[in-house]
Amino acid sequence: MTERYERLCAAVSKALETPERGTALQRCMQRGRDSRGRAIAVLPGGEAFRAEVKAIKDRCIERQDELVAKFTACAQARGAHVYFAENGAAAIDYVLQLARKRGAATIAKSKSLTTEEIEINDPLIEAGLRVIETDLGELIIQLVHERPYHLVFPAVHKLTAEVAAIFAKALDKEVSPDIPSIMKVVRAYLRPIFLDADIGMTGANIGVAENGSIVIETNEGNGRLVSTIGNCHVCVMGIEKIVDTIDEALTLVLAHPVSSSGQLPTTYVTWMAGRADMGDAGVPRETHIVLLDNGRKAMRQDPGLREALNCIRCGACMNICTTYGVVGGHTFGHIYPGPIGIPWTAAVHGLDKAAAFAPLCISCGLCKEICPAEIDLPMLIAEVKHRVAKRDGYHRADRTMMSAERFAQTGSTLAPFANRALQNRTARRIMAKTLGIDADRVLPAFSRKTFKQLFTGHTSSVENPLRKVALFIDVYANFNRPDIGMAAVECLEAAGCEVLLPEQHASGYPYIGYGDLDRAREAAAFNVARLAPLARTGCDIVAIEPTAAYCLRHAYPALLGHSRKSLEVAERSFEIFRYLLDHEPEFEHVGGKTDRSGRRYGFHVSCHQRPMGSGREAVEWLRHRGARVEVIETGTCCGMGGTFGLKAGPLGQGLSKAAGLGLCKKFKESGVEAIVSESSVCAIQLREGTGLPVLHPVELLLPAQG
Amino acid sequence: MNDTALESFTKRYESLGGHVHAAGNVESAAQAVLEIVRERSGTRVAMAGLEEHLAAAFGRVLAESGVEVLREPFASIKLPHGIDECQVGITGAAFGIAQSGTLAEVATNDAVRLVSGLPRAHIGVVKASEIVERFEDAAPRLRAIFNEHSGACTVSFISGPSRTGDIELILTMGVHGPEAAYVIVLDDAERRVPQ
Repeated sequence: MTERYERLCAAVSKALETPERGTALQRCMQRGRDSRGRAIAVLPGGEAFRAEVKAIKDRCIERQDELVAKFTACAQARGAHVYFAENGAAAIDYVLQLARKRGAATIAKSKSLTTEEIEINDPLIEAGLRVIETDLGELIIQLVHERPYHLVFPAVHKLTAEVAAIFAKALDKEVSPDIPSIMKVVRAYLRPIFLDADIGMTGANIGVAENGSIVIETNEGNGRLVSTIGNCHVCVMGIEKIVDTIDEALTLVLAHPVSSSGQLPTTYVTWMAGRADMGDAGVPRETHIVLLDNGRKAMRQDPGLREALNCIRCGACMNICTTYGVVGGHTFGHIYPGPIGIPWTAAVHGLDKAAAFAPLCISCGLCKEICPAEIDLPMLIAEVKHRVAKRDGYHRADRTMMSAERFAQTGSTLAPFANRALQNRTARRIMAKTLGIDADRVLPAFSRKTFKQLFTGHTSSVENPLRKVALFIDVYANFNRPDIGMAAVECLEAAGCEVLLPEQHASGYPYIGYGDLDRAREAAAFNVARLAPLARTGCDIVAIEPTAAYCLRHAYPALLGHSRKSLEVAERSFEIFRYLLDHEPEFEHVGGKTDRSGRRYGFHVSCHQRPMGSGREAVEWLRHRGARVEVIETGTCCGMGGTFGLKAGPLGQGLSKAAGLGLCKKFKESGVEAIVSESSVCAIQLREGTGLPVLHPVELLLPAQG
Repeated sequence: MNDTALESFTKRYESLGGHVHAAGNVESAAQAVLEIVRERSGTRVAMAGLEEHLAAAFGRVLAESGVEVLREPFASIKLPHGIDECQVGITGAAFGIAQSGTLAEVATNDAVRLVSGLPRAHIGVVKASEIVERFEDAAPRLRAIFNEHSGACTVSFISGPSRTGDIELILTMGVHGPEAAYVIVLDDAERRVPQ
């Protein structure tokens, strides 16, 4: 485990040495997200397609055996040869035999991640075949013998000048470093290959059981040429790509490019059933569909990984992954890169290969919010981390971060001493060595009195309460900043709420982040068991830490198999400003005395707020108080990733700080006087990265603060 | 099909970098074809998957202007190379989709796909009455086509010229497929049948 961790640390350190590469990649990712946003703005129903895609994939995976049989029968009825390959070796062998039988010399390929998965090119080339990738991105990486950097844009890491140099070298001619010149060279180079290929090999984005057709989505037009010209066509397709109906396929045909390139749909969508003649030459023409299992059937039987089969290979998750943007797809991936690459690699290439890059996921959860199939990626990745850790153990720093609550409790009990230790270089160096906590991070001081203690001594002034609210406090407000917790109590009481503090543990989200799902489930079950009876009697549950609210609303139900209790709690759980704003008419006098006119704040949206209104309630609330508030964001995580950025070393604060550079720069350039963030950990990152004060919005509601 | 569908089809297809010509009748469609072929300095044109009267009209006008016209079943040329030597390919489309600016071309012979895929310019011809509004409206049309052709059959959705974003995600037109894409929308009689 340690050796693997060290190898990953070394790869991250190397990436940190060339920040310009990361910047270029992040620009491309931003372009991808922007195109997606524009496409969704004009797509009828907007984001609603995601629920539809999830429903389609859920039911087609459920019916997989039946649909594979139906697809096979319909494709055969139209003249296709269908071969079921249990694994990569069987698929490769089938294609090799076919090429031999046909006396083929050249195979022209269009892009297929599935053939990358089984690494089909090398054995074909070793057998004497000429195998040429015709998709521009795939051709570029084939020429330099690299693996895909991105699912959809495999050569996204090669800048124009590098691409020109690659072709200049490969084709031994001058190529100007501009895209139109490169296109001209590529078209001329590939034309005879298209025209004279013996076999055309493609993947497929979808298989349609209803009519036995495969659907190939391309933009360049190479997929059409490759599937048309050679007298023999081979399609290698994973069995999870099969849907039942044309209607389902049409939904996916839009969902796929919306999420990857912002198109509606790709320029070419080929619905190919059987193999047609070409002209009247009377030459027999064939199509062979290789249906690949390679671990997929086992995935379907594996509750921890099954949902990964819903992936439609759009690549959106890597366009939003902040650590992917720093280290790139060769470090953050095996063959399948990015967030979805973690569960897929575990399933088809083995746990070891996945373990080599799984710790790069900082569990910010944004991939879940952008995924067109609403795949719960953080939970799938947590499952992989969990399996790795059960076998190989946890890294020391990860263990520390999972004990944050105990650590904070001790810190609070020993507050004056502990706080002096936090300021002491020697003590911090020892903590870095023994606990893996970065020595330079400015950690928040502990409070001698916890929120729980303060609250117990507090008497409510509310008579005839309008509603009951249970506070879910989590670690930071309890042990570090009880004043924020008390401010929340004051706001809620001013609004006529009776505030309760039921017995509770910390949210336990770090267990998900570092892959201890047993303890994550324990924490979830503990809290749900205590909150559910309250929820059932009409008590609302309010959290002031976004991650805590996210646990109640999203993570706990997922951890607890969407049990009735967990859903009852989820339904009545709110992030505090959402709650205040929902009851605006009743609560309008809250903070009525506070005037923030003339103040200028920059608002930071923490990742776990994204599925809960992106903090717009807090922003609105502050604007009501006269403040000028602008949301400043890059669209990705600030890099802190909960406690990830507190860890010592490149696979902690090093990567975290690099990931946060862009956002911190934006805040610094904005001219705001302070940053407002509801997340206690994002606050650490932003304070250090910008030098600006970072406040919790609750602090700004009370007259004494701000 | 109504005027709104034609308008949205045109707007969408042109936003993708293609060009749309509305033709009132076969003669003006043939004129539009000729203009495009001249614009592309075409000396050799391939046609496939067109209704016979359209193919005849286009062939006549092009031949009169000295353009060599290759037609199905392409018995006199070597495939696919002969098609690759054409500057312009013309194919018929079974239907269009307004929402996405898409033509749906049906091929029960793959020569059709060569004609729309190999030359640098492609002209697709669709009847105005065959333009459906929404993307999902394509489902019954596709189902009908695959039911009608129970053997090998390929339907190609074509939405504008060939493009790539593979270098730095920067959109670039014309890679392996046509760099120029035209649609001629034929205002057919059915459309004028009173409701």
